[in-house]
Amino acid sequence: MRVRELLAPERTHFNVQGVSKKRLLDQAAQLVANSCSGLTEQQVFDALVARERLGSTGIGEGIAIPHCRLATCQGPVALLLQLEQPIDFESIDNKPVDLVFVLLVPENNPEQHLKTLSHLAALFNEAGYREQLRSARSAEELFKRATSSEEELQLAS
Amino acid sequence: MKIIILGAGQVGGTLAENLAGEQNDITVVDTDGARLAELAERLDIGTVTGRGSYPAILRQAGAEDADMLIAVTNSDEVNMVACQVAYSLFRTPTKIARIRAAAYSQKEKLFGNDALPIDVIISPEQVVTDYIKRLIEHPGALQVVNFAGGRVQLVAVRAYHGGPLVGNAIRQLRKHMPNVDTRVAAIFRHNRALLPEGNTVIEADDEVFFIAARNDIRAVMSELRRLEHNYKRVVIAGGGNIGFRLAKSIETRYNVKIIERNEDRCQVLSEQLHHTVVMHGTGTDRDRLIKANIESADVFCALTNDDEANIMASLLAKRLGARKVMTLISNPAYVDLVQGRDIDIAISPQQATIGSLLTHVRRGDIVNVYSLRRGAAEAIEAVAHGDARSSKVVGKRIEDIDLPEGTNIGAIVRQEKVLIAHDHIVIEADDHVILFVMDRRRIRDVEKLFQVGFTFF
Repeated sequence: MRVRELLAPERTHFNVQGVSKKRLLDQAAQLVANSCSGLTEQQVFDALVARERLGSTGIGEGIAIPHCRLATCQGPVALLLQLEQPIDFESIDNKPVDLVFVLLVPENNPEQHLKTLSHLAALFNEAGYREQLRSARSAEELFKRATSSEEELQLAS
Repeated sequence: MKIIILGAGQVGGTLAENLAGEQNDITVVDTDGARLAELAERLDIGTVTGRGSYPAILRQAGAEDADMLIAVTNSDEVNMVACQVAYSLFRTPTKIARIRAAAYSQKEKLFGNDALPIDVIISPEQVVTDYIKRLIEHPGALQVVNFAGGRVQLVAVRAYHGGPLVGNAIRQLRKHMPNVDTRVAAIFRHNRALLPEGNTVIEADDEVFFIAARNDIRAVMSELRRLEHNYKRVVIAGGGNIGFRLAKSIETRYNVKIIERNEDRCQVLSEQLHHTVVMHGTGTDRDRLIKANIESADVFCALTNDDEANIMASLLAKRLGARKVMTLISNPAYVDLVQGRDIDIAISPQQATIGSLLTHVRRGDIVNVYSLRRGAAEAIEAVAHGDARSSKVVGKRIEDIDLPEGTNIGAIVRQEKVLIAHDHIVIEADDHVILFVMDRRRIRDVEKLFQVGFTFF
C-alpha cells in the first residue's frame, strides 16, 4: 500500500514535541487511537512498546517506523509525525530521529503488510523524500508532500 | 533506556552500578540524601531526594519519559504504590517492584493492570533461597543456575585431582560418557577466563562452567571431581525470611535443624515447620552448635542478616566439623576475604538478585539473566524471533553465527527438547538460546544479535 492509502490529513502532525521515545510512542498511541474506533490508547501503546523491545524500528537517517499488529484494527492505518526536536530512538545508526511514521495493521494478511513495510522502508531510504518532508512548514504541506511524491511513483513503477 | 530506581539501598545501589555503565539514563530516588550523594559521586546517574511513591517526586525523576521503573525501597507498600502511580499517571511501560512479604506476593489476583499494575515482582529472599537450595541439591557445585524452567542448568565446579577428566582434553568427555551431552562454557584459571575448545586441557583447581540437561549434571560433575555424597543433615543459623523459607522447602527431604536467636520467632518457626528441629540460640555459640550435632552436619548455612555473625558462625561450624559451610554475605569486600578458604561458598544476596532484575532490563526477548563471578560474566537465555530475513540467528547454523568475542552458545531449548550446542545445529524461530558471556562488556553486542530486524511485525 502507498502512503496516500494509509495516511490522512488528521493523522499528519507537524512540529510535535517528542522529548523521549517513551513519550513519543505514548503521544502516537493517543493520536492514532482517536482516529480508529475499537482501539484503546493503552492497547496501541503496549503493542508498539512490545515491538520496540524486540528491536528498535529506527531505521537510520533520522527515520523511525514503529509498527505493530493489532487484532482489533480494521485496516492498515498510519500516522506521520514531524518532531520539533530530534529524539533518541536507539536507532540502527544511533542518530536521533525527527520523522516518525507509525503503522498499525490487522492480524490478517501478513504478506501484504510485509510488502507495505518494505515499501515504506525503501521510500524513506530516498534522500529526496526525506528532504521534501523536512522542508515542509505546516501539517498540510507535510501531508501533501508525504502522499504525492515523485519518489513513491518511481518506486511503484 | 531511561530507568528510574527507587531505593538506594544494597539492591538499588548494586543495580545502579550495573546499569550506569551500559548506555542507560539512570535516576535514583531515595529519602536519604546523603546516601544518594555518595552514590552520585561514584556513578554517572541522576538523583532525586524524596519519597518514590509521590507523583511529584516521580515526575521530577523523569517518569514521563522513563521506559522502566524499578521500585526496590525497603517498603513493600511504597513499592506497590509507586508502580500504581507510574501506571496511572505516566503510563510507564515496565514496572518492577520488590515485594518481600509473602502475604502479598502469593496473591496472584492482586497484580495486573486492573489491580496493582506491577509487571514483575522480585522477592530477593525467594531468589536467595532458591539459590541455596540448588547448591544443597548439587553437592560440590559453586553455583547452579536454571534455564528453560530448570530443564537446563549451568553449573560451576572446581576441578580436583582425582576427577577422571582432570589432566585431559575436554573432547575426552564424550569418550568417557558417550550417553551424556554437555558443553563446557568457560574455564577460569587463576581468575583468568579461557575460552574452552576441544583440545583445552582441564587442570586441577580450574573453575569450570558447564551446561547440561538437569539429569546429566551429576554425571558431568563426577568427571571433574570425586563425587560427593548427597547431603542429608543441614544446620541453619538464622530463622529469618531466608532461613525459614529454606527450611520449609527442604525439610521433607533433608534432616534440618535451625538455630534462631529470638524466642518469639522460634515459636513461629516451630509452628510452621513440621519436620525441622528449632533451637533457641545463636550460630556463634559453640555449645549451641555442638548440641545441634554440627560435627556430623553435611552443610551449615549461616543466613542471619548480620555479615560478621554469619562469618564467625561459619568459621566456628567448620572448625567443629561441618563438612560444608555456606554463608550469606552482603558486603562484597568480605566475600573476597573468606570465599574458598574456610568458607566454601559465600552467597551475595545482591548478586543473586541482580540477575532477576537484569532479565527485564536487557533488550530483546530475554527470559533469564544470571550474573556470574561477581558480575564479571553473565549467562543469558534469549528467545530467537523472526525469520532468516529479520533475525541474525534464525536459520543459521551455530558455527555461522557471528558471536561477540568471549561469548558462546551452550544449549538450545526447542519446545520441550534440550539440544546441547553443536556447530551444525540450525537455530529456529522461538528457540531458547542459552549463552555464556565471559565479559559483561559484550552484552550490548549479544543484545543486538538477538534483536529482530526492521521487517519483523
